[in-house]
Amino acid sequence: MSENNSAQMNNYRLPGARIRRQRGETEKPENGRKTMIRLFKYFGDEKLIFSGLFAAVSVVVVCSVAVPRFQSSAIDAIAAGEFSQLPKILMYMMAIYLISCICTFLQNMLSAGLSQRIVQRMRNDLFDKIINLPIKYIDNHPHGDIMSRMTNDVENISQIISQSIGPMASGILMIVGTVVMMLNLCPRLAVLSCITVIMTVGITKLLSKLMRKFYLKRQQLLGELNAEVEEMITGYKTVTAYNYGEQAAKDFAETSDDLTATGILAEIIGSSMGPCMNVINNASFVIIAAFGGYFAIKGYISIGIISAFIVYAKQFGRPVDELAQIYGQIQSAVAGAERVFEIMDEESEDKRGSLDMDNAKGIIEFRNVNFSYYEGKPILKNFSLKVSAGQKVALVGATGSGKTTVVNLLMRFYDIDSGEILIDGVNIKDIRLDELRKNTAIVLQDTVLFSDTVRNNLKYSRSDASDEEMIRAAKISNCHNMITYMPHGYDTVISRSGQNLSQGQCQLLSIGRAFLASPKILILDEATSSVDTRTEKNIQDAMVSIMKDRTSLIIAHRLSTIQDADIIVVLHNGRISEMGSHKELLAKKERYYDLYMTQFSGKAT
Amino acid sequence: MFKYLKKYYIFCILAPLLMFGEVYMDLLQPKLMKIIVDEGVLGLSDGGGGNLGIVFSVGLKMVLFVCIGGFCGILSGVFANLCSQNFGNDIRKDCFRKTLGFSFEQTDKFSTGSIITRITNDITQLQNLVTQCIRGFVRTGLIIIGGIICLLTLDLSFGIVIICALPVILGCVIFFIAKSAPIFGTLQKKLDGLNGVMQENISGARVVKAYVKEKHELGRFSEANKDLVDTQLRVLTLFAYMSPIMNIFLNSAVVAVIYLGGISVRGGGITPGAVMAAVTYITQILNAVMRMNMIFQTVSRGMASAERINEILDTEPSIADGDFDGATDIKGTVEFRNVSFGYGSSTILKNINLTINKGETVAVLGATGSGKTSLASLIPRFYDADSGQIFVDGVDVKAYKLSALRSKISVVLQKSELFNTTIEENILLGKSGASHGEVEAAAETAQAKEFIERRAGGYKSLAAEKGMSLSGGQRQRIAISRGIIKNAEILILDDSTSALDLCTEAAFYKSLNAKYPDTTKIIIAQRIASVKNADRIVILDEGRIDACGTHAELLETNEIYQDIYNSQLKGNIGEAV
Repeated sequence: MSENNSAQMNNYRLPGARIRRQRGETEKPENGRKTMIRLFKYFGDEKLIFSGLFAAVSVVVVCSVAVPRFQSSAIDAIAAGEFSQLPKILMYMMAIYLISCICTFLQNMLSAGLSQRIVQRMRNDLFDKIINLPIKYIDNHPHGDIMSRMTNDVENISQIISQSIGPMASGILMIVGTVVMMLNLCPRLAVLSCITVIMTVGITKLLSKLMRKFYLKRQQLLGELNAEVEEMITGYKTVTAYNYGEQAAKDFAETSDDLTATGILAEIIGSSMGPCMNVINNASFVIIAAFGGYFAIKGYISIGIISAFIVYAKQFGRPVDELAQIYGQIQSAVAGAERVFEIMDEESEDKRGSLDMDNAKGIIEFRNVNFSYYEGKPILKNFSLKVSAGQKVALVGATGSGKTTVVNLLMRFYDIDSGEILIDGVNIKDIRLDELRKNTAIVLQDTVLFSDTVRNNLKYSRSDASDEEMIRAAKISNCHNMITYMPHGYDTVISRSGQNLSQGQCQLLSIGRAFLASPKILILDEATSSVDTRTEKNIQDAMVSIMKDRTSLIIAHRLSTIQDADIIVVLHNGRISEMGSHKELLAKKERYYDLYMTQFSGKAT
Repeated sequence: MFKYLKKYYIFCILAPLLMFGEVYMDLLQPKLMKIIVDEGVLGLSDGGGGNLGIVFSVGLKMVLFVCIGGFCGILSGVFANLCSQNFGNDIRKDCFRKTLGFSFEQTDKFSTGSIITRITNDITQLQNLVTQCIRGFVRTGLIIIGGIICLLTLDLSFGIVIICALPVILGCVIFFIAKSAPIFGTLQKKLDGLNGVMQENISGARVVKAYVKEKHELGRFSEANKDLVDTQLRVLTLFAYMSPIMNIFLNSAVVAVIYLGGISVRGGGITPGAVMAAVTYITQILNAVMRMNMIFQTVSRGMASAERINEILDTEPSIADGDFDGATDIKGTVEFRNVSFGYGSSTILKNINLTINKGETVAVLGATGSGKTSLASLIPRFYDADSGQIFVDGVDVKAYKLSALRSKISVVLQKSELFNTTIEENILLGKSGASHGEVEAAAETAQAKEFIERRAGGYKSLAAEKGMSLSGGQRQRIAISRGIIKNAEILILDDSTSALDLCTEAAFYKSLNAKYPDTTKIIIAQRIASVKNADRIVILDEGRIDACGTHAELLETNEIYQDIYNSQLKGNIGEAV
């Protein structure tokens, strides 16, 4: 993308444009503390479990700190030849081990339940938010991005919570406990051990800093690769049709090679960590042994203490290491949480309004409505239109003249900038949103079917409908026959995105779904564009009876679809340029007449 | 799958060998440690006086060994990664290439979502499997075997501990793996389920809202969520049991070693330092066994992924490439000879016979589900006919190289798929390397020039994911531009002007005919206006050709056509003519 273009993108964000997330930038939380606090609020209801967890962890830590002490006494006993002491010491050891195991089990169970419940709640909250977001948000954000907050970010948080609560608590306690024990045994050796631990931490930090750089780059490349795969595979029909496969494979290979090169570097650094640690650990052993030996020769300490110190030094190094890792993980979890909360902080659809529509007749009125998707690019300009109850109104006009916008506004998918939209004289903002939508059925240009049975797809609009009603709706929408030919009739499962149906068949099904809703207002937005005109005519004829006393709004390019309409509204550049019945408009010989003539002469006018 | 590894066999051998060096050095340490404690600190051999000299000299040796071991370890990591990642890269590229060669039917069968996960997620799992095998597996195996040998050389009585503990721990490992493996499979499925609900809700947001189904959807989601969480809890519970149980065995073994060591020391068999070394060894061995558990998890996940990838790699494209390079004298003819076709058990096209001549414009009309799109899909071999033959330029389509055949044909699909890049690049997909002038010319013919230039950024503006920012008609026109720029012998427009208003559509056809008079055009449409000027109009009815003729002829003779015509004209024929 050129410089110039990205500059434009900043102040004019294309709806749906996928702005590739730069992992490097977002990985570090912007407002870490605040997000942390919010994340912790999710733990709020789990206080009891949380304290139980903490108690269990404490016991485990105490146990693992105490055991080396007994181990050293055992070795001391052996060295001193006091073998009769041995069984007693070993019994104590076993008992401690047992307690530790039971508590480890408790810790595992509690943290598993805790983390899963929190994540479950977070997922539900997020989903609840997403389905209540205004359409505007969904139109303006790449779906892949919204998806990834649920799949990647929440998943990430889930894993980190479940994996780090235990280790974090035990890590901190362990460090404190070990330091206390070491100081207690021999302060001088304790200081020495600390030095080696600091060495470990230093090297870990150095390596992980280096690693981070490569890991970030790898993550970014991986994202690119995934996007490439997703795009090419979902668009496979076009790729095939245009012989683009070779080129796509070449591009893919390039990204894939880059990813591999970066991945190898990152992993090599990553896998060096172990051996490096090993060297340090052993070096620290030698240091402790040397000094310990020196102290033992001087008679300051027993050799049992040396053995205990070796265990402690190891015990000490591990949690420090782990905490460093956990810190990194928590950072990325917080960054993820930030992305999740970002959506949760979006404003939900404005669902205020208290009036219901039970007795509405379906009189629709647009009064001086102005609307624009982007500031400065008005779509509807001072738009006024009144539709009486039971009328069939058609909207025609060129692409971009604002036909679909009228639907968006009537359904309150978008809210108007100024003016009023009234149903039966009541501003739609005062009507309960679910009432408004329940009484208005729409069939959209892009059909949406769910990967479920035909029956459930039809009954989606009214789950309490009987099978008879459903079949009647299917018959009216001319899809009953087609459904009976399907392998399992109404129980046939429609595959995701309706791949086993033709576009026209999908449209018929969504029309059936809308009919079943038996709405007060019916909106068909290019609902039959892929349906042949004879089938369409059948539908229209059948509709006459069910749409009696109901208002319908039809948008279509095909004039045959709308000729029967009571009023045809011709839109031009966001304004109504003419209005009237088919005959009246033809007689006027203006825009509609021109449109009409094109349809049959096949020539541009 | 092994053939991919073969290429990197040197790394495959070097990595474990170096690992052997690392482990060997690791195993030497407790022995040296023993010397340091026994000789250096306790001075057992010279009667109780410690010897710091020994501590330092042996200590230095130990650090040196560790450094050598570390070096081996790092190199082993280098080779293991070179092997596994290059291996993964090769498979990934092959998989991607392979899937692009699949027929539509095969892609549908796998489902695009599944293919995407396989190429991305599963390959990563497979890579981990290889790394684990040549590194983790070898390392832990060596530690276990070496550790046992070392332990036994210290004192044979420790063997009893090993004999008792090892089978128990191994048994535990096997038990937990057997228990967890199937749950992992379920977990993946539940996750797919959750993502599915999410996906449907985002892309179908308008419908969900329009039918006020938010509560219903939330319920559906909560259910999928609960399913997922329950499965995840099952895994976690299993592991919650696993680690303490394994630990208790491990700890018992440590206690046993100390006890037996005590007995041996009393009997004068070994030194206290040896007991310490033994404790270290036994901990090392049993830790390794526990780590085996983690490795097996990766392995069992990796194996599942390997299978999924193999499914892709082993699938032969059902549309096989021919040899013919496409150099024909005739350019732009299509012939269907007794063609029948269906998806699965249902027949869509029945015994189709149709010849389309060079430069002709043939329109296809018919009811929803009558097989129009299927008919068009057979020409570029998106699907293969069940019986009968199709000829392009007089040659059977099956004889062509696919790329040669498809370069003769340009299809504008019913659903306009735009890619997430600039409008210009989307158009260029039809002919890579075309000049900007060509792009503009194509856009102009497709009646897209005007709105593209009006956009901020013009041709360089993003078409955006799923073309969300463009209206249906605009998307179609970009897709048409792409089809036109290809300038193929045969142009198929599969209901690709349905969202255009009539003026725009008419202008498009006029311009198309003027600029590309020699191109054979096959037009699938619903509107009479779209097809009226075609040289011939084919009426499809329930998979059969009902009639074929010009507008005038059909209007005269064909009932279906009259019916369609009337449905679009209603009662106003008089006024229209």
